[in-house]
Amino acid sequence: MQLKISGVVFLEKISKKVKVSEFSVKSIFREWGLIFVILLIVVVATFQRPAFLSGGNLVNILRSYSTIGIAALGMAYAIIGGGMDLSISSTVSLSAVVTMLIVNGTVIDGISPVYATFLALLAGIVIGGLVGCLGGGIMAAVNGRMGESFIITYAIQIIIAAVANGVVAGKFQAAEYKGGFFKQIGMGLNPVLIFLFLAICLEIVLKKTIFGRNLYFLGANMQAAKMAGIRTRRTRFFSHVICGICAGIAGVIVVSRVNSASISQGLNYEMDAMACVAIGGTSLDGGSGSIAKTVLGVIMLGVLLNALNLLGIRANEQLIVRGAVVVIAVVLDTLNKKAKLKEVAK
Amino acid sequence: MDKVSRFLKNQAIICMLVIFIFVLAVARPSFLSAANIKNVLIDASIYGVAAIAMTIAIVTGAFDLSLASNFAWGQIFFCFLLNLWGDTAGGVFLAVVCTLLSCMLIGAMNGIIVVKSGIAAWIVTMGMSYVVKGWCLVFTGSDMVSTGNEAVAKFGKGTFLGLSYLTYIFILVAIIAFIVMRYTQYGRNLYATGGNRVTAELSGIKTGWYRFSTFVILGLSAGIAGCMYVCQIRAGSVLYGTDLALTCVAATVVGGTPLSGGKGGVHRTVVGILLLYVLYKGLGFLGFAGYVNNMVKGIVLLVVVSFDAFMTQSGTKKVR
Repeated sequence: MQLKISGVVFLEKISKKVKVSEFSVKSIFREWGLIFVILLIVVVATFQRPAFLSGGNLVNILRSYSTIGIAALGMAYAIIGGGMDLSISSTVSLSAVVTMLIVNGTVIDGISPVYATFLALLAGIVIGGLVGCLGGGIMAAVNGRMGESFIITYAIQIIIAAVANGVVAGKFQAAEYKGGFFKQIGMGLNPVLIFLFLAICLEIVLKKTIFGRNLYFLGANMQAAKMAGIRTRRTRFFSHVICGICAGIAGVIVVSRVNSASISQGLNYEMDAMACVAIGGTSLDGGSGSIAKTVLGVIMLGVLLNALNLLGIRANEQLIVRGAVVVIAVVLDTLNKKAKLKEVAK
Repeated sequence: MDKVSRFLKNQAIICMLVIFIFVLAVARPSFLSAANIKNVLIDASIYGVAAIAMTIAIVTGAFDLSLASNFAWGQIFFCFLLNLWGDTAGGVFLAVVCTLLSCMLIGAMNGIIVVKSGIAAWIVTMGMSYVVKGWCLVFTGSDMVSTGNEAVAKFGKGTFLGLSYLTYIFILVAIIAFIVMRYTQYGRNLYATGGNRVTAELSGIKTGWYRFSTFVILGLSAGIAGCMYVCQIRAGSVLYGTDLALTCVAATVVGGTPLSGGKGGVHRTVVGILLLYVLYKGLGFLGFAGYVNNMVKGIVLLVVVSFDAFMTQSGTKKVR
């Protein structure tokens, strides 16, 4: 522990020194290298298939990855706080099926679709919040860190998946009306706008509020945070609640976009969200990273997979590329940080 | 009185296992029939082999999410090789050896990346699980591979003293792992590495090599489990055993090995995996179907793990 505290002090010193040489090209590249990688992919893909750069395609990428992106924002909160949330995949599914039931039900009863939309969004937020409360509450009670959060949220994932299954008895839910106000959530640029709005809000909370600073401290060193008088349990609890709410909102948007809901709606969401966070360069040990970087990670994954699609690479091979990209991104990020440490130590 | 409570605290999982079995035996006497015991043990032993390796890794302070994909690769490659060479005894043996080697290679790849880059093991292995799964799908053309090999089918059905051969493999693996972890220098160094890596490194233990070796062991275990599964099912697919990695972690934690590393042991995991499987099968026996079964599974896992985490937390407080 002594080692870790001195590490924190060391890092603080480093961050001060880096600020002096803020405007060097090298440090910009170090910090935001991902932008260049995204540009590289865009350039290569455009040369191969000019259709890649068409407006329709770009909107398509953003729209289809905005839901994973919203889930990833919440995941970033959990990971920055030194935890993790595997339960979001079932949260997305549960929120999706409940939303579909509500929208179908209200339409039959003849309530205005505007109310149905609000009710559905509210349901998504409440369900996400409740699942987050469950995970966060237990994590706070046991004072857990990464290891515990892993297994506890996995158990919650199983339970919530079973609940979602029970709610609809395993049946696929199709929308009983096409169009209307509810459909608007998932149309056009709306999911992207919701994603960006959430990202900006969460970034402000993370960077400008006491809660955000506490979260970083909690992730960097839980014992030290506790000794510094931070309510670690409360901070941990809210990081999971925010993660759950994000997943709930993602579920509502998915339903609105694909106009149907099934219990496998959220399959692999937790893995994709973690991949986005990791690609963005958020340290998976907690205590560093940001929402802005996570957004870049989402864009990177979206652009890459879309480019692979356009280049005619099939789903199975894409899986390999996706995994390799996650590993390479994390390895590069770590090497980058090591190099930075060395440079400052000089 | 104090002795009794301490015994209960230390052996809570064994007590729970006994209670579970007792309740099930009272509610459904056929649960204790020889055929059912054999079946439960077969399922438990396939996952158990992997869970033992997972315990070794967790003791060393890492865990492997790519184990499920590696397990799938073991099945697929074993089936593929059996269809190729399975006519002779030597061919079957060669197929087993090649499968184990290929799985160990995947494990070694994980190990090299984790040790050389110093990244948290779970994110590397998560990425690798995509890679291996994708490779399995490419290799099979998204299809299932089945084998009609006689020798393997015979081995899978064979019993000795009422227990399947597969169970004996599990027992053998468990005993070897137990002896290695408890009585050899290698095992002690693994504990030291997991307990405090910096201290271990300073006292002259090559922690990098030890951590690398646990990943190779994980690969080996995935290969063995894959071969055992093929003996049972006579087919291989990425769809089989997708929950393997997390079930193994669960069995380890339920057994009483904390995720923080440096503590616990293989013998605890044997109890843990038995507990999980008695529970899973027992729920089916009691007539819970489908999602209710899953829900109870999740709740029990949650309760046991939370309880364990809560107890270890209060334990550390007392020491201070």
